[in-house]
Amino acid sequence: MSDSAAHAGPHRLTPWLATLAAYIVPLGFVLAPMALFLVYSFFSVDHGSIVFSPTISNYVRFFTDPVFLPIFWRTCLLCLAVALLCVLFAFPVAYFLTTLRGRSRYMLLVLLLVPLLMSYVIKIYAVRSILGGNGMLNRALLATGLIDKPSMLFVFNLNAVLLTLTVLLIPFAVLPIFLSLERIPKALRHASADLGATNAQTFWRVTVPLSLPGTLSAMSFVFVLAIGDFLTPQMVGGQSGFTFGRIIYSQFGTAFNWPFGAALSVILAAVVILAIRLGGRLESKHGGAK
Amino acid sequence: MRFADRAAPTLLITLTLFVFVLLYGPLMVPIVSSFFTVSHGTVDWSQPTTSAYVALTQNDSVLSALWTTLIVGAGAVVLSVALGTGLALYYASPNAKGRNFLQFIIFLPFLMPPIITGLALLIFFRQVEFERSLLTIIIGHTVFVLALVYRTILTRLQSLSGSLVEASYDLGASSWQTFRLVLLPNLSSAMAGAAILAFALSFDETMITLLVTGTQSTLPVRLWAMMRLGFTPDINALVALVLLFTTALCLIAVRYLMPASAVAGSDDN
Repeated sequence: MSDSAAHAGPHRLTPWLATLAAYIVPLGFVLAPMALFLVYSFFSVDHGSIVFSPTISNYVRFFTDPVFLPIFWRTCLLCLAVALLCVLFAFPVAYFLTTLRGRSRYMLLVLLLVPLLMSYVIKIYAVRSILGGNGMLNRALLATGLIDKPSMLFVFNLNAVLLTLTVLLIPFAVLPIFLSLERIPKALRHASADLGATNAQTFWRVTVPLSLPGTLSAMSFVFVLAIGDFLTPQMVGGQSGFTFGRIIYSQFGTAFNWPFGAALSVILAAVVILAIRLGGRLESKHGGAK
Repeated sequence: MRFADRAAPTLLITLTLFVFVLLYGPLMVPIVSSFFTVSHGTVDWSQPTTSAYVALTQNDSVLSALWTTLIVGAGAVVLSVALGTGLALYYASPNAKGRNFLQFIIFLPFLMPPIITGLALLIFFRQVEFERSLLTIIIGHTVFVLALVYRTILTRLQSLSGSLVEASYDLGASSWQTFRLVLLPNLSSAMAGAAILAFALSFDETMITLLVTGTQSTLPVRLWAMMRLGFTPDINALVALVLLFTTALCLIAVRYLMPASAVAGSDDN
């Protein structure tokens, strides 16, 4: 049916059809749901059914209720701590990676990539089996005589969430740091050595400052992944390890308040965008010259 | 050489080893306990057993979850590779309109935490009265993996020389012929790598699935439900199998996507 139309002006019509085809899925299944979700955050719930009239009560509730704001800040701090720990662990690995060449570098890189694709749920489960009151960590600490009875410091609370998220997210921090370290021209380090700097001086005054953009984008990366997670706190957080993600999830389950959950998610999205911008801005400021 | 300069490499290797122990050590626990009986926290090394694996083959809920996961993965791979290729070609074409805006939308579900993507889709499906089913999971996964697939294919497309396409047109090929005979063969390994990555991501996806699923559960969702009840030998067996499978997938994907020079080990710094 459209054959004749297509023959009449293929050059006029095809680009428009292509544009339409290209936009249909991204607009229909990404932008529309996200927009709808923003709209939902301005609705409210009355006796278990959603009231479709605009209100800012959800946002007011978030900022005035004594429950949500403290959990929100605590979650932000927790994720910041996770980001710092991850970078602390990831930096030596990334640095070590840059000292390798050829096959061994490739192998190590692959070994770092493999855990990225491993099932998230399984990794949480595995770390949990180590953290428990009767888990490996306690057993090892008991065996070495560092403690004389199982420590409850990291059993089903926020510390457990912190440790688990750190272990889970380290690989995500290694890659950006590695890439920024690799971008530092060797000549700069040689120049520093020629000018009489020791290796330590070169490391602290040349390598570290130049790798800062990668380190910061690694931090923002880890922060974003940590703050959106609701599985880890649920699995290892116990009763006390309540985080923002968990509260959002509960609004769509037990609490059944979708509009409020949507409003909380909009706040989460705002934090995420801020974190990405901070990470990205520093990267473009420092690493502008490729 | 000063002491610090000699100690630094040792420290570096120690720290790296420590991180690898952190990454891989915990995974050993379920693998070991899938073969040996663990009672009161001590492993009975004397009697390795595969009974947990045998029990798994009789567990209908796990088998049906596995089946669901495979269908969802296949669906998401086909859709995301087709869409990703189309979108990459569109982005690279001179007639593309608002290509950066389009790219931004494609990246959104990957940039945003999965809980946001999942919730947005959940609300959307409810609003348009689309029953939650296998199809909604497939849509959720497709939207999620699309960014990665698209990016992988676009990177390959942009690395191809433009003269390749020009030569094809000069020789009188139509756009379809150019796509099928020139671009497609050059993109195929990137598409294969992207497909494997997409499948691996879909195979593990839990957060979006938990939100958009109806009554069916995929393997990670099933595992999640099982794990909340505690540690059992059959969970450990399942965990061991899934780990084996995803590791294999990851290694294959790396083979497709890593530049040959990295594998051969060139020193072009």
